[in-house]
Amino acid sequence: MPYFGSEETVKELKRALSNPNVQADRLRYRDYISKVIRYMTQGLDVSALFMEMVKASATVDIVQKKLVYLYMCTYASVKPELALLAINTLRKDCADPNPMVRGLALRNMCNLRMPGLTEYLEQPLVAGLRDKASYVRRVAVLGCAKMHSLQPSTEIDSSIVNELYALLRDPDPVVVVNCLRALEEILKDEGGVVINKPIAHHLLNRMKDLDSWSQSEVLTFLLRYIPRSDEELFDVLSLLDAFLQSPHAHVAMATLCLFLHYASSHTAVQNDALQRSTAPLLASCGTTSRELRFAGLCHIRQVMRSQPSLFASHYKRFFCSYSEPGYIKLHKMEILVELVNDENVALVLEELRSYCTDVSPELAQAAITAIGRIARTYTEKCLEILTGLLSLKQDHITSAVIQAFKDLVWFCPQSTASVCNAIESCTDRPQDSEGKRALLWLLGEHSEGISSAPYVLEELCADELKTEWSPGVKLELLTAAVKMFLSRPAETQDTLGRLLHHCIEEESDMCVRDRALFYYRLLQRGIQETKRVLSGPKSDPSLSMLTGRQEEPVIRWVSDFNTLAPLMNKHDSMLKESERLLATQPMGVFSALAPLMDNGTSSPLQTERQRRASEPVVTTTENEPPPGDTDTTLSSHGKEDEEEAFCLSASPPLSHEEFEKLWVELQTLHTQNLLAPCAQTAPETLQAILQMVHIQTLAFTPAHTLPWRAFLYTRSAATIILTEILQEEDTVQVSVKQYPENKLALRGFLSTLQSAFQTLNAENTCENVALSF
Amino acid sequence: MIGGLFIYNHKGEVLISRVYRDDIGRNAVDAFRVNVIHARQQVRSPVTNIARTSFFHVKRSNIWLAAVTKQNVNAAMVFEFLYKMCDVMTAYFGKISEENIKNNFVLIYELLDEILDFGYPQNSETGALKTFITQQGIKSQSKEEQSQITSQVTGQIGWRREGIKYRRQVLSAHVSGRVVMKSYLSGMPECKFGMNDKIVIDKQGKGGTTDDTGKSGKQSIAIDDCTFHQCVRLSKFDSERSISFIPPDGEYELMRYRTTKDIILPFRVIPLVREVGRTKLEVKVVIKSNFKPSLLAQKIEVRIPTPLNTSGVQVICMKGKAKYKASENAIVWKIKRMAGMKESQISAEIELLPTNDKKKWARPPISMNFEVPFAPSGLKVRYLKVFEPKLNYSDHDVIKWVRYIGRSGIYETRC
Repeated sequence: MPYFGSEETVKELKRALSNPNVQADRLRYRDYISKVIRYMTQGLDVSALFMEMVKASATVDIVQKKLVYLYMCTYASVKPELALLAINTLRKDCADPNPMVRGLALRNMCNLRMPGLTEYLEQPLVAGLRDKASYVRRVAVLGCAKMHSLQPSTEIDSSIVNELYALLRDPDPVVVVNCLRALEEILKDEGGVVINKPIAHHLLNRMKDLDSWSQSEVLTFLLRYIPRSDEELFDVLSLLDAFLQSPHAHVAMATLCLFLHYASSHTAVQNDALQRSTAPLLASCGTTSRELRFAGLCHIRQVMRSQPSLFASHYKRFFCSYSEPGYIKLHKMEILVELVNDENVALVLEELRSYCTDVSPELAQAAITAIGRIARTYTEKCLEILTGLLSLKQDHITSAVIQAFKDLVWFCPQSTASVCNAIESCTDRPQDSEGKRALLWLLGEHSEGISSAPYVLEELCADELKTEWSPGVKLELLTAAVKMFLSRPAETQDTLGRLLHHCIEEESDMCVRDRALFYYRLLQRGIQETKRVLSGPKSDPSLSMLTGRQEEPVIRWVSDFNTLAPLMNKHDSMLKESERLLATQPMGVFSALAPLMDNGTSSPLQTERQRRASEPVVTTTENEPPPGDTDTTLSSHGKEDEEEAFCLSASPPLSHEEFEKLWVELQTLHTQNLLAPCAQTAPETLQAILQMVHIQTLAFTPAHTLPWRAFLYTRSAATIILTEILQEEDTVQVSVKQYPENKLALRGFLSTLQSAFQTLNAENTCENVALSF
Repeated sequence: MIGGLFIYNHKGEVLISRVYRDDIGRNAVDAFRVNVIHARQQVRSPVTNIARTSFFHVKRSNIWLAAVTKQNVNAAMVFEFLYKMCDVMTAYFGKISEENIKNNFVLIYELLDEILDFGYPQNSETGALKTFITQQGIKSQSKEEQSQITSQVTGQIGWRREGIKYRRQVLSAHVSGRVVMKSYLSGMPECKFGMNDKIVIDKQGKGGTTDDTGKSGKQSIAIDDCTFHQCVRLSKFDSERSISFIPPDGEYELMRYRTTKDIILPFRVIPLVREVGRTKLEVKVVIKSNFKPSLLAQKIEVRIPTPLNTSGVQVICMKGKAKYKASENAIVWKIKRMAGMKESQISAEIELLPTNDKKKWARPPISMNFEVPFAPSGLKVRYLKVFEPKLNYSDHDVIKWVRYIGRSGIYETRC
C-alpha cells in the first residue's frame, strides 16, 4: 500500500531517530522504533532508515533489540553492505552471558538473508550447538538449516551433519525435533534425514516428552522407518497405542497414519486402528473450532473411502447445525449420503429434507442433490420427498429437483413412471440453464410418459424465441424437439419447424446453427435414418456401478492422509463434473452417428458411449479377446468395424515397478506434439477425465511445476500402451511405447487422448464437447 | 512448516505480518486480502490456494489470522496451531480485537518470534513463554470481563466444569464438558482423580457383591470419549482407567469429555408460532425447568428470532424481562433466577410489514443460555487423592473444593 506522503514520514522518522535527545530517552527512542516497524508492517518502504536502525541495535534494552532485529531481517537483503555493520554487534551478543541474548542474536543473525554471511555465521553456530543453554541450542540447530538455505548449492558440511545427528540424543526435546527438521532440510537432495533403527527407537522412547507439534512431526518422520520384523512392529505399535487417542486431532491422525502405513500387510491391525480412531475423529468434528471441524470432516471422508460403514452408527453427528458455515454443511451432507443404510434412512432423509428449504440456494440445491443420490438405492421414499418439494414453487428448488430427476432416471429406469408423473403435474419452470437443460432432456427422452410434453416444449420454445438463452440450452432444446418429433410427430411438427427455422436463419451461435442444420439434413434423409441415429439408450443402470460406493484399499489414500491434500480434495467434485457431462449430453445421437462420420477423430465420450452401447456390462477384463488372434480378426474387419474393435481398458492394473521395467525396455514408437497445454487444469481433473476413457494415470508431477510430466498406461485388446506426457513452457509432447505393436490400437489411443485433452480445454468455454471436432 | 503469519482487520489492513521463510514474499499479504477478505462471495473453505501458496485462516470476531505455506503441511496441525496462537494472545491481553492487537503490537511480534522459528513451532505454552517475553499485555477490559475476574479471585473454585453443549434437544444432545483444576501444591505431588465413569465402576463392581454393582450402575455415566491434559499418564488410564498425574501449578484443564447418553436436559422449550394473516405473527414460548426444586438456575436468557420485516412487537411475560431488539432481530427474554420444576411463559404479537419478497423466512431456532449448579452429564467427582512422599504433608492436609456448573453451549429448539 503506497501511502501519500510516505517520503515525508520516512524523513521525519529519520530526523527523530538521529536526534540525540530522543536517543537519550529510552522510552521515546523505543516508541519511534516501534513506529518504524508499524510502517513496515503496513507495507511502507522504510529501508532508508537502515543506518539509524543499525545504530539503535547497540543497546541493553532487549525489547528494542528485538524490534531492530526484526527490521534488519526484513531489509538486510536490500542493503547487504549496511547489514554487515550490524554483524559486529550481533557477534558480540552471541557471546553474552545471558542465554536469552545469545539465542536472540544467533537466531536473527541466521535470519539475515544475505549471501556473504556464511563466513561470519559458522563460528557462532558451532559454538551455539555446544552451548549449555538448551534455548541457544534450539536456535543454533535451526540456524544450520537456515544457513544451508542461504546457499543451497554449496556442498554439505559433513561435520555439521554429524554434529546434528549426535544432537538427536540431546536431553531437550525441542532440540531433538529441531535436529530432525534441520537435517531434513539440509539433506533434502539426498532424500532427507535417515531414520535407522537406533534413531527410530530413541525417538519412540522420547515421544512422551515432546509437545504435540513435535509428536505429530516425529510421527511423520517415523513413516520412513520400516520395522525389521513383525515382533518389532508390534512393539512399536503398542508403544504408540496411547497416541491414537491423543487430545490433539493432528497427533491422533498422524498416529493413525503411521499405524495404517506400518500394518499394511496386517489388515486386522489396520481395521482395529481405524475402529479405535473413530472417537478422536468424531471428536474433532464436534470441536468448537470450525476449521478443525472442517479438517476432521475431510479426514473422515478419506477414511470412509475404504470403510464406508465405519461411521454408520454415528450418523447423527453429521447433522448440520444452524450456525455452521456452508463448507461444513456441504461436507456433512456428502458424508450423510454415504452413511445411509436401512435403519437410518428415514431419519437421514427427514433431516436432509429440512435442509432443502435452507435460505442459501447453494445448500438447498446440495441437499436436493444428496436426496437424489440416496434415491438410487431408496427410490420410493426419496421420490416422495422430491415430488413434495416441487410444490414449494421456488425457482432454485424446482431446478435442483428436476436435475436430480434427470440423474435418477438415468441410473434407475424403474423410477421413470413416477418421475414422468411428477414432471407432468409440475407447472413451475426452472429459470437457470442447468435446470432448463435437465427438463428438456427429460421431455425429449420420455415424451411418451409425459402426456403434456409437446405443450410444455412449445411453451419453452416460444420463451426461447422471445428471450435469448445460453447456447447449451438451445442445443438441448433442439435435440429434445427432434426426439419428440420422432415419438409424437403430429403434436411437435409445428414447433420443430419453427425452431429449426429460427436456429438456422437467425441464430448467431455457430454450434447451435450447425446442430440445427445437421438435424435438418438428417430429417431430409428420412425418418428411419433419423431414428437410427437418435435412438440411444435412455438409461444406464450399469453406470451406478462406476459411480457408486466402492471400498478402496487403504493404500490408495493413506499416503496423503493427515496432510493438506484431503482438504483440497478436488477429485470428487471433478469426477462428478465429468459424470454430469456424460449424463446431460444427448449422447445417444453421437454413438449411432459414428459410422456416418469420417473416421478421423472420435471424442472420448463417443467411444465411451459406443463401448457402453455395444457391451452392456462394463467389466472390461471379460471382453478382452484371447491374445494372438486379435490381429487376424482385425484385418478381416471392414472400416466401419474399426471403432467397435478398438476399446481401451485400464485393467488389469499395472504396478509402478512393472511400468518402469517396460518403459526402460521398450523403444519409443511415436512422438507427437499436442496443442493443448494440460497443466493449466488440475492434474486430478485430467486424471478423472482420462479414467473415464479408461486410460490410467500412473504418476504425475504436482500441478504448476515446469516441466510437467505425467505417465499413463492403458490396454487395448492384447497390447499395452505406455505414454509419457511432457509439458515445457507451451509445448506438450506425447511419447508412446507399445507392446506388442498394434498400429490400429495406437491410432485409436492417440485420437482418444487428443480428444480427451480437447474436452479438458473445451469444458469451460464451449459447452458442447462433441461438436468440437 | 509455516512460511508466514499475517493478521488483518476486517477491512483487510495488515496489522501484523511476520515472514519466516524466503519463499513467502510480500505479495502473499496482498493475495490473501484480495482473494479472501475482499472476495464477494462467502468464504468457501478455511484453506485457500492462491498461486501455489496455501492460506489457512481463522477468524476471531472481525480479525483474520492467516498462516501461509508453500508445502503440503499437516492441515489439522496448522489450524490447531492458529488456535493455540489465539489462546496465547488471549492469555496475554484478553479478547482478540483490532484495538488490542494494535496496542500490543510489540508484544505480538515478540511472541511470534519465540513461538515459531524458521516456520517450526517451538514453544507455545503460556507459562514457559513468560521467561522470554519482556512485555506485559495491555488489556482493554469490558465491564463483563472485570466482573468475571473478580468472581474468579473471590470465588474459591477448586474444581469446576463448564461449557455444556446441546444441539437440538429432540434429535440429539451431547455434553462436552471439561474438568478444570486449580492446584497450588508444594513439591512434586502425585494426584489421583476418580469420577463416576461407567467402565471404572463396572470394573470395580466385578470384585464386589452383585448388590454393589446394581447400586452404582445407576449413578455411573457413560463417557463417549475423553481427552486429557498432557500430564495424565495415558498408559495407566488405558490399563486401569485410573487418572493419575503430577499437576502443573495454577489453573489448567485436566480433561475434556463428551457424553451423549442419559443427559438431564435442564430446560424444555415449547414454542408455538401462529401466522395470523400476512402481517401478523403470534408467538408463545413456554419453558419448563426440569431439575430438583431446591436448585436455582441463573442467568437465563431466551432468544426468540423474529422475521426481518418486523415493524412492532408487543410482549407479555409472567417472569423476568423481555425486550424486542430490532438490531438483532430477536426478542430477548431474561430471567435472573428460576428454581427447578417450575414453568414460565412468554407471549408476543409480532406485526410485520407487508413485503413483495417471496422468499420464506428461514425460521432460525430459538436459542437459550443459562447456568445451573449441577452437571447435566451426571458426572460426579468421586475422589481426589494427593500423595507427596518427599515433603511433609499428606492427603488430609490438602484443602479441596468441588464446584459443578452446567453452562449452556448451543441450546436450540426448532420452531
